[in-house]
Amino acid sequence: MIEFRNVKKIYTGGINTIALDDISFVIEKEEFVSLVGHSGAGKSTLLKLLYAEEKPSSGEIYFNGEDISNLTPKQLPFYRRRIGTVFQDFKLLPRKTIFENVAFALEVSDHSDKEIHELVPQILEIVGLAHKLDSYPREISGGEQQRVAIARALVHRPPLIIADEPTGNLDPISSWGIIQLLLKINKLGTTVLLATHNKDIVNRVKKRVITLDQGKLIRDHSKGRYAI
Amino acid sequence: MLLLTLKRTFTSGFTHFRRNGWLSFAVISIISLTLLIISTLIVLSIAANLVIKSVQDKVDVSVYFKSDTEESRIMDFRATVLQYKEVKSADYVSKNQALDEFKAKNADNPVIMQSIDAIGDNPLNASVNIKAVTPDKYDIIATAVQNSAFKDDISRINYAKNKIVIERLNNVLSTTRNVGAMLATLFSLIAVLITFNAIRITIYAHRQEIEIMRLVGASNPYIRMPFIFEGIIYGVISAIVVMIFLFPLIKFVAPYLGGAVSVRDVQANFMHNLWLIFLVQLVTGVALGTISSLIAIRRYLKA
Repeated sequence: MIEFRNVKKIYTGGINTIALDDISFVIEKEEFVSLVGHSGAGKSTLLKLLYAEEKPSSGEIYFNGEDISNLTPKQLPFYRRRIGTVFQDFKLLPRKTIFENVAFALEVSDHSDKEIHELVPQILEIVGLAHKLDSYPREISGGEQQRVAIARALVHRPPLIIADEPTGNLDPISSWGIIQLLLKINKLGTTVLLATHNKDIVNRVKKRVITLDQGKLIRDHSKGRYAI
Repeated sequence: MLLLTLKRTFTSGFTHFRRNGWLSFAVISIISLTLLIISTLIVLSIAANLVIKSVQDKVDVSVYFKSDTEESRIMDFRATVLQYKEVKSADYVSKNQALDEFKAKNADNPVIMQSIDAIGDNPLNASVNIKAVTPDKYDIIATAVQNSAFKDDISRINYAKNKIVIERLNNVLSTTRNVGAMLATLFSLIAVLITFNAIRITIYAHRQEIEIMRLVGASNPYIRMPFIFEGIIYGVISAIVVMIFLFPLIKFVAPYLGGAVSVRDVQANFMHNLWLIFLVQLVTGVALGTISSLIAIRRYLKA
């Protein structure tokens, strides 16, 4: 489903920084992959290339057979709608309620109001927040906010979920709750790519681990542990 | 599909506006003050023009005839003068009329009244009051009259005395007009710039929202339109606020113009054009809000 082929990313600000150096890997459908490495190893850059926030300096990136390394600004929104994203800082729209935040993902892909009013409560039920439909992000806890973010990432049933340090701002128990949610989603058929530097989570999850160090892919184990 | 998007983005824009709190208040006060400045300048320039016009109307040149001149001769003179293209009107004031007007004007001055009775005869002369089309024509008219066929019938022309006043008036008028126009343009420009930057700052404050919307896969209309609608709402409300403040402002300012223009005139003028003034405010406010939003959001759209 996802293929990186000899991907290099160099940032040319004051100094030339090699963020990713000749990365190649393949991820199949319905896999759960943990992407690990120290801060600065290149995890976030790799994900940014995958959801097309940046373009690779060289190499190609394939998503379901399509080359997405050179998407035009017009094509970009449509591509993004096929991926669900979850971030460390939750990235919820502060002026919208929980319901509206999740509904927004459906609105932008032109779902009908009827569909929205059916699907949103359902998905919030799944993440356990149906009772807080009309709350604002600032009124709920970090763990709850992250679950809303996951609900939003899921609601339009994307084939892939990208999670960039989703537990970074959470306590250990909430963190594990989020990971369990991601595992459950994966079991139901969604491919999940999780970037994290949380050793405990990676070891408990016991799924495939891709390790990055200073921009290079140094390890790719199908039943991995956190070892750098 | 497009209608649905429009409805959704409008609802979104309106909802966001309601939830902005003090930010909305800040932006609306800025736009309102901007509109108030522009409106006040317009009102002041209209008032200035009214004052100028009414003063102009009071200026005239009076041609007095020797007391033995025949009325028909004076009428001929009047007819001739009316032919001049520089002359707007020429009113004949007969000896008797002159006396009546004089008595009426000085009715409460017993000394003068007694003097008139003492003289017995009518000491005043008949005259023709000439009003020019524009104040700068009085010179031409006065010269023409002095050199006309009737020059021997004329006892005096009170232009010389008024001449200085009239010239000074013309200078003041043109200076006022020019300076006024320059100031109005300058302040309007400043006001527009301030509003534009205020809106730019509010959109800057929401830049993270814009980034989030892009990540979720929203296309540009879905990101842009709510902000445009917010801009429009700001514009409309500001126009209404300004109208509310303009009322007492006019009422307050009108008496001070009382010297030259009647208070009723100014207020009547205002009320008469009420809808027009509101429309201008509305269009300006909405245009300001919309264009500012459009330009300000471009940086964050990357497309």
